[in-house]
Amino acid sequence: MACSLGGCTGLKRRSENIEVAIPFLIFSALVIIPLLLALDRLIYVSGKMPWQVFSSLDEHYLSQGAIGFTFTQALLSTVLTLIIGIPIAWQLGRYNWPKIRLIRALLTLPFVTPAIVAAMGFMAILGSDGLDIRGDKSTYLVSLLFAHAWFNIALVIRFVDPVISNIDPSMEEQLRLLPAGNSLQGRIRWFWFPLMYPSVLCAAVLTFVFSFTSFAMVRWMIPRNATLETVMADVGGAAGIVDYQIFSNELVLASSTIQFIVLIVALWLLSVLQAKRNQTIAEVSESYSRKRSRIGWMILTPALVFCLSPLLAVVRASLRIAERGPVSSHRWTLDGWKSAIGGDYAYISILDALQNSLGYALLTLVIALPLGWSLSSGIHMLEKRNSYWAKPLDVLTMLPLAISGIMLGLGILLGIIRISTVFFTFWWMPAVPHIMIATPFVVRLLLPAMRRQDPLLIENAQMLAMNRWQILTQIRIPLLRGPLIVAGIIAIAMSMGEFGASWILVRTGAWDTLPVLVDQMMSRPGFDPLVKPAAMAAASLLMITTLILFLLAERFRPDGDGGMF
Amino acid sequence: MRLGVLLVTCIPLLTPMSGCLTETIDDNAIGVESDDKVLTIVTYDIYGLTSERISEFTNQTGIAVEMIKLGDAGAVLNHLLQTKDAPQADLALGLDNTYLQQAIDRMVLQEHGANVSNIMDSAWAPYNGSMAVPFDQGSICLNYDETSINASQGRDVPTSLWDLTSDAWKGKVAIPSPVTSSPGRAFMIATTDYFANDDDQNTDWSDWWSAMQDNDVIITSGWTEAYETHYTGGYGVWNDDHVGDANFVVSYCHSPGVEAYWGDNYTISTSLTLDRASFHQVEYATIVNGTKNAEYANLFIEYLLSEEVNLDMPIENSMYSVLRDSELPEDNGYRYHSDLASLNAQVTPKQIADNMDSWLAAWEAALA
Repeated sequence: MACSLGGCTGLKRRSENIEVAIPFLIFSALVIIPLLLALDRLIYVSGKMPWQVFSSLDEHYLSQGAIGFTFTQALLSTVLTLIIGIPIAWQLGRYNWPKIRLIRALLTLPFVTPAIVAAMGFMAILGSDGLDIRGDKSTYLVSLLFAHAWFNIALVIRFVDPVISNIDPSMEEQLRLLPAGNSLQGRIRWFWFPLMYPSVLCAAVLTFVFSFTSFAMVRWMIPRNATLETVMADVGGAAGIVDYQIFSNELVLASSTIQFIVLIVALWLLSVLQAKRNQTIAEVSESYSRKRSRIGWMILTPALVFCLSPLLAVVRASLRIAERGPVSSHRWTLDGWKSAIGGDYAYISILDALQNSLGYALLTLVIALPLGWSLSSGIHMLEKRNSYWAKPLDVLTMLPLAISGIMLGLGILLGIIRISTVFFTFWWMPAVPHIMIATPFVVRLLLPAMRRQDPLLIENAQMLAMNRWQILTQIRIPLLRGPLIVAGIIAIAMSMGEFGASWILVRTGAWDTLPVLVDQMMSRPGFDPLVKPAAMAAASLLMITTLILFLLAERFRPDGDGGMF
Repeated sequence: MRLGVLLVTCIPLLTPMSGCLTETIDDNAIGVESDDKVLTIVTYDIYGLTSERISEFTNQTGIAVEMIKLGDAGAVLNHLLQTKDAPQADLALGLDNTYLQQAIDRMVLQEHGANVSNIMDSAWAPYNGSMAVPFDQGSICLNYDETSINASQGRDVPTSLWDLTSDAWKGKVAIPSPVTSSPGRAFMIATTDYFANDDDQNTDWSDWWSAMQDNDVIITSGWTEAYETHYTGGYGVWNDDHVGDANFVVSYCHSPGVEAYWGDNYTISTSLTLDRASFHQVEYATIVNGTKNAEYANLFIEYLLSEEVNLDMPIENSMYSVLRDSELPEDNGYRYHSDLASLNAQVTPKQIADNMDSWLAAWEAALA
């Protein structure tokens, strides 16, 4: 033996520590450094510290009321999402449904739908060629809440459905025999509530975060109310320039600091709740046969209509053109698609933009998947050791998930200005926020799967003198093939749909991605009646591509998957 | 098997991304013939510059063009300031006379050498130096929906901006914010001159904005939102996001003509042409200070000012050409419905640059 047992263990531990440290250093460099540089730049240019600028939000007209409105709409969106999502999750988890994989995929599809497509879809439903209720201002907030609920019910389903579906029905039957469980109220209080609340709250926290940082929906659906996110988008372009529009720096600094505090608190809560949730899932880790529901279709049918309507509305709008004149009307046409494919209203055609989007998505996949794997392995290793580092690092990997796209984009933009503007010329630069956004999804999908893996398999492989590479390629990767494929496809889908950061960051027209192109076309003066159908055609192409990817991912999702996405 | 299905499905999806993964920045340029001759242009979405137009330039000169696109004129200035130490572009298109002087004062521009003798005098009026060449123009003013005028209900055509502070027009005026929009900024500048020259010596422009705020003026972040979403007299009424709560909007005096051109000679929109309540906006082509490709930039400016490109500005870019003797087209009532400003606000770029920060602060204070 070349070393004593203790010495070898020490060496092994050290090599493991390095193995954990490297991906976290890379990840931190990607996520933390741009944000710190941006913060440094904003403080330098504004001459104020973050806590000195909060009042500026209420002093400036364009940001007045932004704090209150951001919190209010996020809170109300969360409540509405739970009201709509819990009955759906209950039906999916508790009862047997034909084609349940497809139903689940369709109901969770909105979450991976690019927000800008969703916003276009809702506008098409509410607009003059739909319900025609945009003239009524009282519908704005409600519309936004429903749009946020539409986007986030997937979270409720993904968190709550696995808990319900894996419950042994005999547990509830046994409870009915006890005094505490002979009433519905008692069963809710002593059985269902303790079992479900961590999952429901996990979904609620994330819904709050996503509504808090929502950009495309607010930008298009609420004409007169600012959120912290839209304030940053409005004035962020002028931030970071010495002696120029100093108030822009103050507003961005104040908005991003508030966002950051809220997000850190939310992530910590999520981490605590997830630990509780994992305990409850562990208690009920098997699948049981379920009954058929007779009335459940009354919930699932409207739910499916709700989830699919905005998407179908986008396709419909791409085929409709307004006939202008004293009597307005719409007619069916393919001209919008022809213009979009011909690139009539942008520097590049939608096919070129799709090509760019797919290119950046592949780059994202190539980096985010191995990085996410390494981060998950590291956290899992630390968890097995009961290391106190496990939880903070787990939270760290979720950070980009919670940081808004605009904040990420501004972070990178100001970071670039701080280091060297030559970075603007690198074609791969727009992929950086995509990688930052996709990596947490990879971790959230792989980490629960790693936790579920039987450790004996690895131990047996070590006993058989397999080296680490053999264990990785012959045991771990084949066993995690399903989650890996799902994570890869979701990473591609997230990259495809990323809008906020790209909106801030993409500089060269030839690099435009599909979401950026959709926004450009929608923002263009629409004197020419073909502009809007062409924009909707671009949105449809983006949506259809994402839909194909997502449905593909669902085929590989393991049964009873307790992962977040 | 499943993996095979996935790969078969993904490969066709992923193979076409030839584009960005293998290209350098130069290869992104429109026009593929040239190896080294690349002109980089920073601009907002100038719709007249289609890829066909740019390809024509490349074919004529052998110079490929790369576009850096930004939101509006303000974003172009922001970009020039942010990258002042390491300029990314050779030519900036779209700075207007509300932003030009700041760009000159901060030394992000250099003199041009383009041969541009065919530009009409009015386009040189705001600025006639060698740091910028006008390429399109128009007057920014209030537009209104003619069907909203109803004398019996007290809704007469306003004869003064103060009329818009009456109950009859409460919540019926949409104006883009001067903080985030170029037309909004231009209109705010016009109001400073309008109220400095009116008969009332007891009030100034900020009082009017305060009164408008009390009268529920709709302030939007950009022109598109004001015109499309809120205005009842424009094409926005056919859009999904239309709200239609404003009968007045800040746009261009010739916007009704653009409406008519695209609407088969039909429009219900017209302009409110009060003296000094409009602003003559000129947009400029400017050469970025420190560029090594000034020669290419000059050639592009000359191309932009050529008859084949510039005379198309009214159709392609919804703005007036700056060429001598040019007119708006008469097709579909374009010229007939385009109103002319009676007297534009008289504010120089120098005055704008010197006062903009204090005006914006006063504007914010008036509305807060």
